[in-house]
Amino acid sequence: MSIDRDIASVPIAPMHDSGVIDAARREMRDLAPDNARFGVAGVGLPPRDSATYYEQPLLKKPHWEWEVIVYLFLGGIMGGSGILIALADEGGEDAELARNARYVAFVLASTCPIVLIKHLGRPERFLYMLRIVKFKSPMSMGVWGLIAFSLPATAGALAQAARDSLLPKQFQWVRYLGPRAMMNPLTALFGAFIAGYTGVLLSATAIPVWAKGKRHIPSMSACSGIAAACALNAALLELGGNPNPVTRQRLERLELVASLAEAAIILDFRRHAGTIGDPMFVGKHGRKMEIATLLGGIAIPSLLGLLPFNAKWKTLLGSALTLVGGYVLRETLIEAGKDSADDPRAAARQPE
Amino acid sequence: MASGFFTDTTICIGCKACEVACKQWNQLPGDGYAFTGNSYDNTVALGATSWRHVAFVEQMAPPDEPVGTSRWLMMSDVCKHCTNAGCLEACPTGAIVRNEFDNVFIQPDICNGCGYCVPSCPFGVVDLIGHSDYPATRGFESDGRTSDDALQDRGGIAGKCTLCYDRQKDGLVPACAKACPTDSIHFGDVDELKVQARERVATLRENGVDAYLYGVDEDTSVGDLNAFFLLTDAPGKYNLPERPVLPSTHQRAGYTSATIIAAALTLVGFVLFRTTK
Repeated sequence: MSIDRDIASVPIAPMHDSGVIDAARREMRDLAPDNARFGVAGVGLPPRDSATYYEQPLLKKPHWEWEVIVYLFLGGIMGGSGILIALADEGGEDAELARNARYVAFVLASTCPIVLIKHLGRPERFLYMLRIVKFKSPMSMGVWGLIAFSLPATAGALAQAARDSLLPKQFQWVRYLGPRAMMNPLTALFGAFIAGYTGVLLSATAIPVWAKGKRHIPSMSACSGIAAACALNAALLELGGNPNPVTRQRLERLELVASLAEAAIILDFRRHAGTIGDPMFVGKHGRKMEIATLLGGIAIPSLLGLLPFNAKWKTLLGSALTLVGGYVLRETLIEAGKDSADDPRAAARQPE
Repeated sequence: MASGFFTDTTICIGCKACEVACKQWNQLPGDGYAFTGNSYDNTVALGATSWRHVAFVEQMAPPDEPVGTSRWLMMSDVCKHCTNAGCLEACPTGAIVRNEFDNVFIQPDICNGCGYCVPSCPFGVVDLIGHSDYPATRGFESDGRTSDDALQDRGGIAGKCTLCYDRQKDGLVPACAKACPTDSIHFGDVDELKVQARERVATLRENGVDAYLYGVDEDTSVGDLNAFFLLTDAPGKYNLPERPVLPSTHQRAGYTSATIIAAALTLVGFVLFRTTK
């Protein structure tokens, strides 16, 4: 059929004929799918009882990109390593792990501020963060927590470097800088804070899926951070040569406990959140998180750990999967938060 | 004295003079020529550089009802200047303060653009100003002063209604209230505005209009709003939350659960590292 004939077949009616207008309105209503989005390509008018404002978002999206995702991930490992430092010195036989965890904590404590400063709208003003200490603001608490962690972590790492004869002779005195009995409890305490507060940072917002997870997100962050710290340190020990099999087993077991707790919290959050949790558990984010975090990052490494033999590839593979799973969990949290902010229905009924 | 706005939506005619006056006084860039096709509202929402926004709710009668039952609801939305403000609590630099007029104000020379206030506002008001929102080629002069430098300085920081802090300091009415041709936007002492608003609600109800105040005598964690509204339909229809929640109220549960889990795992680790041989 030619276009000309198509147009010619449209009946012409006077516009004052309300019957024609009503018919057109009826047709528009019938054409509109139930979940029609009104916009440039929208069809018809919104129903009079539409509960939303043209499906427009009620909340503003967080402007957090890869920098913040990377920080949430690295911060978890950093905090977990802080705990591992104390554990390794406590159990004995784990000197390798203690050394390793000290260097990891130091390197991450030096890197994290860089990505955090980079994410600011005005990076040159980063020092303004230090104008005040604000207990009500998890962002402020995080800045001070990071500083509180860096000090003992740096002192401990420098002392370790001196003990490892990595420093020139005239700097040997730094080995007295960080007495283990004093620095270890501090790195463990502030490390635990860093691993957990990133979850509070998310849940203390108006974003529905984050607010709904006010108990779950901080605790899953802490679990994931500790599991990832075990994984990274185990992998580095493995790469560094022949690690003490006792240390390897200790790390494996702690990682197993932390991972299983993480899985339990994630699954409980899915049940608890209901439809508010959809941005995180349904659709492409949900599938990615299920595959990368629950299956790849928790189930497979846990099963690998149960295999009755030790092999370098086994530890490295399990660690890599755990680390990927931890990163994807943070990425899913951030992306789900953005999608959740776009849902005016969830935002209109904010979780208490 | 707490100053604020009482926005009476029943006499708003949707002219958007408030939006224009706000942009002009505060030297905010335009929003471009985007056409939503939704309604006569092409501003869509409050934003980093849109500090007044006239919502335009078209409630058209379904085809089987007479056309006369259709109605238009118009509401000039603005920052609520909450009693307990989520953005102010979230701000880690102390850039967001409560000023001498009890308004929530972002100090533009302090804000470092961390963006944490953005998801912390339960009303979706505050946002980050883009670096490209003030192009360098903009240079214009106003009253003999070039504003370029000051405007350039706004890129990358958070932006929202200042309740015309600068005008108030000079004893002037905020630009939007000054420009409003129907007095839909009242500016003044919040307590006096509340008295006025309650009388208006009573009058409307006597005349059969289902009116109520949004942001007055609230038992929410956000508290009363220094910029409150008289509405005639559910808050959600104007894109306002039914029950705004102050985000910081989630913190206690968060810190508690994180502490319990981290302590438990550390304890487990302690036992594991001691017993595993």
